[in-house]
Amino acid sequence: MKIRLENIVKRFDDNTAVDDFSAVIESGELVTLLGPSGCGKSTMLNMLSGILYPTEGKIYFDEDDVTYMSSEKRGVGLVFQNYALYPHMTVLENICFPLEIKKVPKKERIEKAKKMAELVHVETMLNRKPGQLSGGQQQRVAIARALVKEPRLLLLDEPLSNLDARLRIEMREEIRRIQLETGVTTIFVTHDQEEAMSISDHIILMKLGVLQQYDKPQYLYDQPANCFVADFLGNPPINKVEGVVKGGKVLLGPNEEDSLVKVDNVPDGTPVYLSFRSESVILDDKSPLRAKVVLTSVMGKEIITSFVLAGKEVRGYMNSDVELQRDQEIGIRFKKTGVFVFDRESGERYL
Amino acid sequence: MSNKSRNTETNSDRHIVKEPISFGRILTYVVLFAGAIIMIFPFYWMITGAFKTYQEVNLIPPTLFPSNPFNLENFIYAFKTAPFGRYFINSVLALLGCITTCSFTTILAAYAFSRLRFPGRELVFSLLLSLMMVPYEMIIITNYRTIVQWKLHDTIWALILPFMSSIFYTYILKGFFDSVPESLYQAAKVDGCSDWKYLWRVMVPMAKSSLATIILLNSIATWNSFLWPMIATNSKDVRTLPFGLYAFMTEGGQRNERMMAASTIVVIPMIIIFLFARKYIISGMSRGGIKG
Repeated sequence: MKIRLENIVKRFDDNTAVDDFSAVIESGELVTLLGPSGCGKSTMLNMLSGILYPTEGKIYFDEDDVTYMSSEKRGVGLVFQNYALYPHMTVLENICFPLEIKKVPKKERIEKAKKMAELVHVETMLNRKPGQLSGGQQQRVAIARALVKEPRLLLLDEPLSNLDARLRIEMREEIRRIQLETGVTTIFVTHDQEEAMSISDHIILMKLGVLQQYDKPQYLYDQPANCFVADFLGNPPINKVEGVVKGGKVLLGPNEEDSLVKVDNVPDGTPVYLSFRSESVILDDKSPLRAKVVLTSVMGKEIITSFVLAGKEVRGYMNSDVELQRDQEIGIRFKKTGVFVFDRESGERYL
Repeated sequence: MSNKSRNTETNSDRHIVKEPISFGRILTYVVLFAGAIIMIFPFYWMITGAFKTYQEVNLIPPTLFPSNPFNLENFIYAFKTAPFGRYFINSVLALLGCITTCSFTTILAAYAFSRLRFPGRELVFSLLLSLMMVPYEMIIITNYRTIVQWKLHDTIWALILPFMSSIFYTYILKGFFDSVPESLYQAAKVDGCSDWKYLWRVMVPMAKSSLATIILLNSIATWNSFLWPMIATNSKDVRTLPFGLYAFMTEGGQRNERMMAASTIVVIPMIIIFLFARKYIISGMSRGGIKG
């Protein structure tokens, strides 16, 4: 099912949680709403599920306007962070419950629930209570319960944040597998960029209720729309050095060292950030851009070097045969990719 | 496998044996034992007294055990002179009437105050709570006037009507309902579950032990209630056991062994219920959040 969001605004008293949000989500995709806490992603999800109604704007499921439609008529399945399983019912009863409300005959109910349980791999524990299951198993049951009524849209609200690190990776792959097997359009809310990058078809990155960028995960990383997007994605985080534009060149730090990065059509004197990914630094002794090594740490397959560039400590993966010493002066230059120039105030991207 | 578990068993046994029997421990048990004797002895005295003859009851020094433990004369006398059977039925009727209606209204009210959103919810609830400070004896007067005006005095309805709802039990149950995560409600709502169905299918089964506590406390209170039945009822046909016992005492003269028999008849059902359901009294009261 295709979802169209048009100029959604949600205000709580004076507080604007979502501001002029427009996006189209294609049928059968898994789209992640990503952002730091308080960015309005859960509010957005609640408006999609019908728990909240937007203050302004329209929500369309295919061609139906569902903006003010109540939850039960929307045909959405919802999975919560705390699973929200009914503790007094068995796994089977939990999965059957949405069908029970729909007054599906008992035999058919159990048949469908069992099929769902097989899909999420909990078919061996149908008679257990949720309290007797591990977190990952509870999450699987919650997904089965959300899917059993064959929803048009599956909504997952931070479904992995209560799990430990290893289970989280396993469950996110499971969610992706289940989503691909059923082909249900899915919206996944998380604050974890790695989670979002690994399973999504598209990511919507939000900040303070405003959509920042809506793109494929790799584009989001390679072509951030603004400074916030670049800062938010990537591990280790992107390096940021203050600079100023003069004659199309980006000059770094108080001494205005030439970074060798060029921008077009930016007026002289514009304060900017030069942001670059750690993998975009190249060691080059002949380069006029000098830096001083602070620390090198071996991270298994690669070596990460911290160095001071224009007064700021930054990090880069260095391919060096020579071992770098503390306080050693090195020359560096940047690759073509993974290097961006942002306006220091507006965050607007120049390069 | 079995070998292994046996090993751990012996280990823990050894652990217990090793622990020295301290003076504090002995003292604790002595105090507990004394307390238990003090609590149990009146009941023991009552029950054994019911089997004694008039002469034996007044013996000095008293006998600790009735000489004829199958002497049912006192019970027969009690049942003959006062209609304890009728009293018992009345008590049971009042009890059933009170706990069914009160539990029902309590569940609905607790749910409304906990989950439904309506203007003035907090205000109404705090007003109700403040009513708990009004002493019971004061309400009795107005209740009596109402009952008389409705011409319901001296009927079973007079024993049920004033106790069809309870602020205190509503407060306890609301506390439990509040601890149920909101997401359960939202999950049910998204599936199209109505409030009514959610309440009876999810909330009430989850609140089983809180409800058991409420029903139990309510049963004890209703069974033992004395002042109101004495005021609201007159005739033998609608008397409940505690008031009937009182009437038996004043009407039957100072025959201790007969009073003991009558008292035993009154108390036994409650003791039986308590023995079966005592764990709920504690667990329901102390039960707060649930594991999510």
